[in-house]
Amino acid sequence: MMTATIHITLNGFEEAVVSEATIASLIRDFNEQDSDLIVEHNGCFVYPAEYGKRVLQDGDRLEFINPNFGG
Amino acid sequence: MTSPHPGPKSVRTVDTDSDKGKTDGKSMLRQKDRERYQRQIGLPEIGEQGQKRLGRSRVLLAGLGGLGSVLAASLCAAGVGFLRIADRDRVELSNLNRQILHWTADIGREKTVSAGEKLAAFNPEVVLEPRQIAIAEDTVQELLRDCQIIVDGTDNLESRRVLNRASLKTGLPFIHGGINGFNGMLSTFIPGRTPCFECLFSEFGGGSGCPSVLGATAGIVGSLQSLEALKYLLGMHAELLTGRLLIVQGRSMTFRKIRLEPNPACPECG
Repeated sequence: MMTATIHITLNGFEEAVVSEATIASLIRDFNEQDSDLIVEHNGCFVYPAEYGKRVLQDGDRLEFINPNFGG
Repeated sequence: MTSPHPGPKSVRTVDTDSDKGKTDGKSMLRQKDRERYQRQIGLPEIGEQGQKRLGRSRVLLAGLGGLGSVLAASLCAAGVGFLRIADRDRVELSNLNRQILHWTADIGREKTVSAGEKLAAFNPEVVLEPRQIAIAEDTVQELLRDCQIIVDGTDNLESRRVLNRASLKTGLPFIHGGINGFNGMLSTFIPGRTPCFECLFSEFGGGSGCPSVLGATAGIVGSLQSLEALKYLLGMHAELLTGRLLIVQGRSMTFRKIRLEPNPACPECG
C-alpha cells in the first residue's frame, strides 16, 4: 500500500513527507540532534508543547533554527 | 558565581545645566547639545524635544561584551541621560575580536572600568554608573533602580532569565539580543503586551561552552538592539520589534521576522 505524501519546504528545500507528519516526527526523521531548537512554521514560532500536535499540510514552510545565546 | 555587591563606585555627574534629570519639557537644549546631536535632531522622529527626552532617559545595560560594547557606544553617542553598565568580568585577550570597547592595554582590567573610560571620553554628557557585579537574583533589583528599560548585553541564558524575571516584576521592557557565529536574534519583550523571554526559551538548556562569534555579528545585532532601545525611549512604541523574533543570518544576509503568540504554558508569565 502506498503511503500518501505531502510536499513541504524544510529549511529552504522542498521535501516529500508522509501526510499526517507532525513537527515532532520530522525532528525525529530528519535527525535533528540538538534539543535546543527553534521551530518556525509558516512564519510563526512554535512552542515545544505543540510539536506532537501540529500536523503539517501540503505547501507548509518549516524552519529548524539554532538559537543564539552568545553575546 | 556571585561577587560581592558593592554600591555605585564611580558615578560621574556633570554640571547643573546638564543634569538631565532636572531638564523640564519646555527648556531649550544647550547650544553644545544642539551641535553634538545636530545630525539626529534633524530627524522628524527626534527633534529637540526627542533629544531632551533621550537626555532624561535612564538605562540599565547588562553585560559589556560583544553586544554590550556596541550597545553602550550607540546609546552614549545618541545622548541617553543615564547609563548604568553592569558586568562582573575582566578583559581577556580572547575578547578583543568583538568587544570593541576593550583594547589590548585593557587586558586584566575590570570591564566596567575599561568601558567606562572610553564612554566618558566618547560623550561626557552622559552620566555613567559602572557596576562591577554579577547579574543575579540578589543584585538585579538594585541594578534596575530608577531605570526605564533593560538592555541585554549578556552572553548566557541564566543572566537573561534573571533579567526577564526582573522585567516581569517591574514592568520594564527587556530588549533581548543574542549571537552565535554569523547569526543572531533579537526581540523586544514588554510585560503585559508581548510574550516574555521564557515563553520562548524556558525549555532550553543554553548549549555548552563559549560560542564562536564574529565582531561584525555583534555589531549588527547590538546596533539593532540599540535602535529598539532608542525607539522605546523616544516613545515610538508602535514600531518596536514586539511580538516578533528577528532572525539574522549573516552568511546569507537574511533577516526574517517570526511571529510570536502568547505561550499559556510559560512558567513565568503564562
